[in-house]
Amino acid sequence: MRIHQYEKIWIAGAMILIVGFIVTITYGSVGLGITMIGDEEETIAPDELNDDEQFGEPRVEQVGENEYAAYVVAQTFIFQPDPIEIPANNEITFYVTSRDVIHGFYVPGTNINAMAIPGQVAELTVEFDEPGEHGLICHEYCGSGHHTMEGLIVVQSEDEFDLTELSAETPDTVAPGEQIQLNATVENGQLEPLETTVNAEIGDQTFQQDLTVDGKSTQNVTFTADSTQLGVGEHDWTVTVDDYEETGTVEVVSNETDEQAGGDES
Amino acid sequence: MTALFVDEYPAEARLVKAAFLSSFIAFGIGALFGIIQALHRTDIFRFIDSIKYYTVLTGHGVFLVIAFTIFFLVGLYQWAVTDSLERGPVDIRFTWFWYGLMAIGSFLAAISILAGFLEQPPMVLGAELRANVLFTFYAPLEANPLYYIGLALFLVGTWLAGIDWFRTWWAWRDENPGERIPLRTFMVLTTMMMFFLGSVGVIVSILVFILPWSLEITESLNPLLTRTLFWFFGHMIVYFWLLPAYLLWYSVLPKLSGGRLFSDPLARVVFILFVLLSTPVGIHHQYMDPGIAEGFKFIAMTNTMFLLLPSFLTAFTVVASMEHGARQRGGEGRFNWLQALPWRNPAFTGMALAGLVFAFGGFTGIVNAGMNINYLVHNALWIPGHIHAQVGTATALTLMAGSYWLVPQLTGNRLVGRQVALFQVVLWFVGIVFMTNSMFRAGLVGVPRRTAEPQYQGFEYDVPVGSMGELNAQLALGGTLLFISAMLFLVLMLLTVFNNDSEPIVDGTLPPALSGPEDSPQVLDNLRLWFGIAFALVVLAYALPLAGIVAQSGLFGQDIPPFPVSSEAVMYLEFGLDYVGALVT
Amino acid sequence: MHTSPAKLLILIALSLVILVEGRTVLAFFGINIPPLETALIGLVIIATLVIWAIRPLRGSPTKSE
Repeated sequence: MRIHQYEKIWIAGAMILIVGFIVTITYGSVGLGITMIGDEEETIAPDELNDDEQFGEPRVEQVGENEYAAYVVAQTFIFQPDPIEIPANNEITFYVTSRDVIHGFYVPGTNINAMAIPGQVAELTVEFDEPGEHGLICHEYCGSGHHTMEGLIVVQSEDEFDLTELSAETPDTVAPGEQIQLNATVENGQLEPLETTVNAEIGDQTFQQDLTVDGKSTQNVTFTADSTQLGVGEHDWTVTVDDYEETGTVEVVSNETDEQAGGDES
Repeated sequence: MTALFVDEYPAEARLVKAAFLSSFIAFGIGALFGIIQALHRTDIFRFIDSIKYYTVLTGHGVFLVIAFTIFFLVGLYQWAVTDSLERGPVDIRFTWFWYGLMAIGSFLAAISILAGFLEQPPMVLGAELRANVLFTFYAPLEANPLYYIGLALFLVGTWLAGIDWFRTWWAWRDENPGERIPLRTFMVLTTMMMFFLGSVGVIVSILVFILPWSLEITESLNPLLTRTLFWFFGHMIVYFWLLPAYLLWYSVLPKLSGGRLFSDPLARVVFILFVLLSTPVGIHHQYMDPGIAEGFKFIAMTNTMFLLLPSFLTAFTVVASMEHGARQRGGEGRFNWLQALPWRNPAFTGMALAGLVFAFGGFTGIVNAGMNINYLVHNALWIPGHIHAQVGTATALTLMAGSYWLVPQLTGNRLVGRQVALFQVVLWFVGIVFMTNSMFRAGLVGVPRRTAEPQYQGFEYDVPVGSMGELNAQLALGGTLLFISAMLFLVLMLLTVFNNDSEPIVDGTLPPALSGPEDSPQVLDNLRLWFGIAFALVVLAYALPLAGIVAQSGLFGQDIPPFPVSSEAVMYLEFGLDYVGALVT
Repeated sequence: MHTSPAKLLILIALSLVILVEGRTVLAFFGINIPPLETALIGLVIIATLVIWAIRPLRGSPTKSE
């Protein structure tokens, strides 16, 4: 086969360029450690997501020192959880799956980019250097409301970030003379113990208690108020732990009205 | 001057004209849908609601990259085979049969798409007539079965077209023992070998998985499997769009430049490389997919990079042939020969500008192919930028330019408005640069593709240079120029078809290559060998990933029901309520 | 005529294309040209090309394409 001299030079140049591209990309993978989304994750049937340990409750979880996992479910036309709150300067591994059709998982202007395919779990690890808010969008057409499918990633500074959860409850009604018990539960999702103070208010009575919650555990606190002191009527209550606040009302009802109310209920 | 194609082969010319007619109708609708999108997604002028945008988007994809390109391909290839073998098909009724299948198939797909504009779509085959699933139809999003049936018929028709051309060649070989395959026929046969191999993926995906599932014969499918089978076909198909343009660049462009093709053997090598490499690369569309191991993505990446080689070879041969032509016309100097090229000829200028855009677009393709860089651009507007530079210009502009040369020979009529035609191809060139430049820049700031409203509530794009408004305006301006150009083309074609009392001034003869087939080793014509190697490469690239996908979640997936596309959001709301209910309990 | 209308058309097209792409390239180096100025530069280029093209030749007219 006759090949012109210039053409030989050109082919050689083209081959060098091609090999050069492959070398650059290989360097990116091996040298810089930019891994691709792979097949390491187990598959999961979309109709079993609700019973799944990880995706049953889509959330952010601490899995090691400076390491967090975020379990995200994409479905028409929302992301769960939303917003996704994560700390800056920590390794965040997203696990993304879909409940229905194929969706995208994309933070515009960054390299956070994955497909959410029903049955599959995409795993990608990223780190945000700065606190701030980033839009999260679905970038694969998923149906008539595709363009409305967006979420938010909130990156908080390490100091600000926590995985604390507060819940609190009282009985709806108590009879005069009974004690009002306010049960507060503080959950610490992080690995480090959480040292904090629980403040509570029932009507005009205030309470305060220091509390240490071990890593990955919950603590209960109970505050007791005397309903006689508060008197008949509705009383607001509030519990605060750091930035978290739970509120509600408790009603002290005299016996007659209590019976009436009871009659209504049955 | 030799006899015109239409005089020599009137029966074949009729088929080529029919194919071009189908192609141009699809082109017109597709172009109209294109400008609607350009104005809608940039929020410059919205006159349809955003749900119908996806009908428009599906139509734009199917009409342009399936109907326009492939109908043109079958017409062009019928011309190439007939003209280069100097004989018609073995049985022209078979030829009309495959054309008929393709026409019926695209008609069925078209009505299922266009039904998206109806407020009350009719029930067909037990489901609402809808097909807003885009041309990639990723399951479990589900279209009406009619859409899949239409696509399947179209593909089968294209297969039969390939078989028809092989039959013609076999008949010719018996009449001309020992002769080399003429270059254009060689290009047709290799393209079709590539198509046979690569389209297996999508045919299996439709016939085995998606169609039975949409007809409720099967209950579930594996979305990653059907998606992978689609992309098994999906990158081969881009070369299927491109190779007709290559055929024109190799056979017609050198002649229009005033010279001859530089090298016949290298042209053959290029087409063989496409047969070998264009299918085992499809996974590069799935770099961001879970469920496919990183190693397979790496293999697809290296294969893709080697696919640059045939395009580099083409760049050399085509430019060398042009230079040869220019020097035959009296061109001199290191670069001054460029001036001696026939820039006045719209067929030449269109092809030359298409080649220029192709070279530029090729480099954007390298970004897509670089798997870790792909994180930045996957499903961003960058990708349609690349597509519009490649199929939207390298192919489309070459096909339009080729039409200016070929249609007069098919009709026996003189081309109307040669100067307007020149303006038309130049306008396309300017329009595409405006539009794709904006798409590339918007893609880099993260504007997604395939969406009616890339404007979100929770954040703003961080545009480092200029503003979103500027990018949108530029995109819309480019899109408008392209639309005007497309309409000009169609008008000129229409006028030419009705320009009856005229003599075409086209010379249809194509001179032989400078370095002819005698310089190319016989082994290049051993099509069985190349098909065998191509097959082996596909098995190497795809056997393990496909086996892995099936092993993970089964051939038919894990209870994946259909999610029919609907004009109303009601279905989704119901589903959402179910979900919320599940959370509460 | 300095050049043929066909070549003038292609020169104008090429210069617009170089303008649009060149502006993007310059932006990578921190040189930003606002849209309005870009349009003005485009107009100036087109005007220059047209004037150059239709300017009468000093010598004998060359063969035009």
